[in-house]
Amino acid sequence: MPKMSIAEAIRQGIREEMRRDARVFCLGEDIGIQGGFGGAFTVTLGLSEEFGHERILDTPISEAAIAGLAIGSAVCGMRPIADVQYGDFLFEMMDQLANQAAKLRYMSGGTLSVPMVMRAPVGATGRGSQHAQSLEAFFTHVPGLKVVCPATAYDAKGLLKAAVRDDDPVLIFEHKLLYGSKGARSEKGALSPIGEVPDEDYIVPIGVGAVRRTGKDVTIVANLLMLYRSLAAAETLAQKGIEAEVIDPRTLVPLDKNLILDSVRKTGRLLIVEEDNLTNGWVAEVAALMADEGFAWLDAPIKRVAAPDVPPPFAPPLERAYVPDEQRIVDAVLSML
Amino acid sequence: MATPIIVPPLSQTMDSLVFVTWLKQVGERVEKGEPLYQVETDKAVLDVEAPAAGIVQEASAAPGSEVLVKSTIGLIVSPAEQTSVQPGAAASPRQSRIFASPRARNLAKAENVPLGAVQPSGPQVKLPHVTETQAMIVERDVRAYVELQKQPPAPPEKARPEAAERPASRPAEVRATPLARRVAQATGVDLETVAQARQGTVIRRADVEGALRGEAEPRAPKEAAAAAPPPVVTPTRLAGKGRPVALSALRKTIARRMQASHQITAPVTLMREVDATELVNLRANILNELPADAGAPRPTYTDFLMVILAHTLPRHPHLNALYQDEEFVVYDEVHLALAIETERGLVAPVIHDLLHKPLLDLAAARVQLAERAHAGTLAAEELSGGTFTLTNLGALGIDGFTPLLNPPQVAILGMGRIRPIPAVVADQVSIRQVMTLSLTFDHRLVDGAPAAKFLLDVAQLVEKPYLIWLANFKSVPGER
Repeated sequence: MPKMSIAEAIRQGIREEMRRDARVFCLGEDIGIQGGFGGAFTVTLGLSEEFGHERILDTPISEAAIAGLAIGSAVCGMRPIADVQYGDFLFEMMDQLANQAAKLRYMSGGTLSVPMVMRAPVGATGRGSQHAQSLEAFFTHVPGLKVVCPATAYDAKGLLKAAVRDDDPVLIFEHKLLYGSKGARSEKGALSPIGEVPDEDYIVPIGVGAVRRTGKDVTIVANLLMLYRSLAAAETLAQKGIEAEVIDPRTLVPLDKNLILDSVRKTGRLLIVEEDNLTNGWVAEVAALMADEGFAWLDAPIKRVAAPDVPPPFAPPLERAYVPDEQRIVDAVLSML
Repeated sequence: MATPIIVPPLSQTMDSLVFVTWLKQVGERVEKGEPLYQVETDKAVLDVEAPAAGIVQEASAAPGSEVLVKSTIGLIVSPAEQTSVQPGAAASPRQSRIFASPRARNLAKAENVPLGAVQPSGPQVKLPHVTETQAMIVERDVRAYVELQKQPPAPPEKARPEAAERPASRPAEVRATPLARRVAQATGVDLETVAQARQGTVIRRADVEGALRGEAEPRAPKEAAAAAPPPVVTPTRLAGKGRPVALSALRKTIARRMQASHQITAPVTLMREVDATELVNLRANILNELPADAGAPRPTYTDFLMVILAHTLPRHPHLNALYQDEEFVVYDEVHLALAIETERGLVAPVIHDLLHKPLLDLAAARVQLAERAHAGTLAAEELSGGTFTLTNLGALGIDGFTPLLNPPQVAILGMGRIRPIPAVVADQVSIRQVMTLSLTFDHRLVDGAPAAKFLLDVAQLVEKPYLIWLANFKSVPGER
């Protein structure tokens, strides 16, 4: 089975969907330009050679225009895959996403649907506050939007294909340190997990999480980069005889609640980890879910590990202190035992 | 409406206070502004008023505990909101509160385990308004308890004789000679302890004296001493060597502050003998002029030194300064802290803005502060804001000493006793009244020479107090 990076897996997913369905097209800034990088992180590199510039559409530098075009074409029956260079720029299109894309199905009494995909890179990687945020939680609060966050190459392709085929707007959050982008777009300190990705057509269903490591002492729920830091923490904890179960939610909306509840029913302890600011993050929602539906199983207070409530700092030492690391996760688990 | 009882920030340097006692108990009615509880700052016990009228619904701070400034330590509710609490019921001590995880509670319920009997080993948890944490009962603790209960209990026949054999459990009848009893009583030696060591033989004077010297088992049989492992005795536990004394909260605070002062500052003490003859004469003359009214304060040498400091410290602002959080701030006004020894311990209330106060006003202010210090009724603002401290051990016959700094201040002046000595003045031997001044300064902020120059200025005004009349008496230039 071929092995590839997340950027390559998404590219393959896009290629397969575009070959399968003529309504699928990509749009974004510098995604198909000759001699360009293939978007900010090489995902669309080379696609314009196969599909041409009409289906790999380079847009002006206007995120509001990208969203408007994506939503409008989706309403008219196309299957757009739009992207922003940095997830932070989603704020530029907030009205389009939250007021238009998310609500049209409801406001039209089900007459309209918006089968669009919006891809957005997240994560603090030395670029300062406006190119570093992890914005998944923002969009989990908008009914009508689906939110996915693939952390492996297999999931990246499978979730992309599921998103394209979904009849509602799906936001895909991808982490800059997990892409495995090459050349000029390679990221310092990147983890770039390489994984097996089948050549055949498959999807990873939206709304299904995955247990990445089984354990009996504590359940750690973490997405994207934090998944890998949690797995590293679980390894350290294992040396102390503590068996952590690590869950990758893969999709935040809709959330695979039962996977988490069943795990905590077994372990009695829940730690949730995200790279976003602590207050009102999606971790808070998982904690509330647990308190609401699984309180009787808890054997320790629910703990959260997240970034402090400040914008991502630019100075590298501050950024290192900002993004939760393995040690914080280990310490949090130890405080629960 | 429920009003939380919040610890007010009574001192700008302290973020926690020692809680002394509740003046109203749970269930009692309190009026707004009525004293509700007492706290101890680093220098005094203060009454804190109720923030609202109503019924005390919760009073969680325990006497003697440390409470954080701005933390909530209780609740006042209107009579309508009052839940059923017995008037006068004491605040439930924290230790009696059981923290158990939901999982542990469920298991305990299913297994019929009383949670109060379970030894907690889980995560540390705490209530919002207390600093101490407490372990939580988790599932494994309940399981451990259940396992323990399953084991067959040890047969009681076996346990009982063992307990009886232990001499400590049997209240021993102490047999001692009358002389031994008298010596024991006079020296504080515990006769029971000696009796245990002597194993029932009559205690004589020599045994008591032996215990006093620290010979815990003066005449123990040799075989027993050889067989038993050497007893681990710390000096404080030796019979007759001493009695533990409970430290007051103020004493603990003083201990903490003194140690902090000793650890964080770089104190250097300069001592200088000064001829105070002129000052003694001046004081005698002034006292002569004062009406013999018993109520009027009579200025002491401390008061004269205050006037002298008011004239010298502004010329040496680096000694009239605070150093806090790496910030060094000098002051033009002199706010003088006066060290006052009370029955409860040392306090240092402050006389603010010395510069414009005449001698008799300072004397009156000092008398008032001293009275309130002895009564323990100093207000928080009277105990803070000093920029320099004056301390006087002269009345107790001390000449020179090494005062400890009163951080964040950077200098403190100690006065010694005034005593007559033979001295050579104008080629004649005459009797002069001399006094030793001891100036401790923080060498992190002030060097030796500028400190010595300040002390020289002070000495000059002690020796020639009339120089105060010269607006610009010639002094050694200060550190500017």
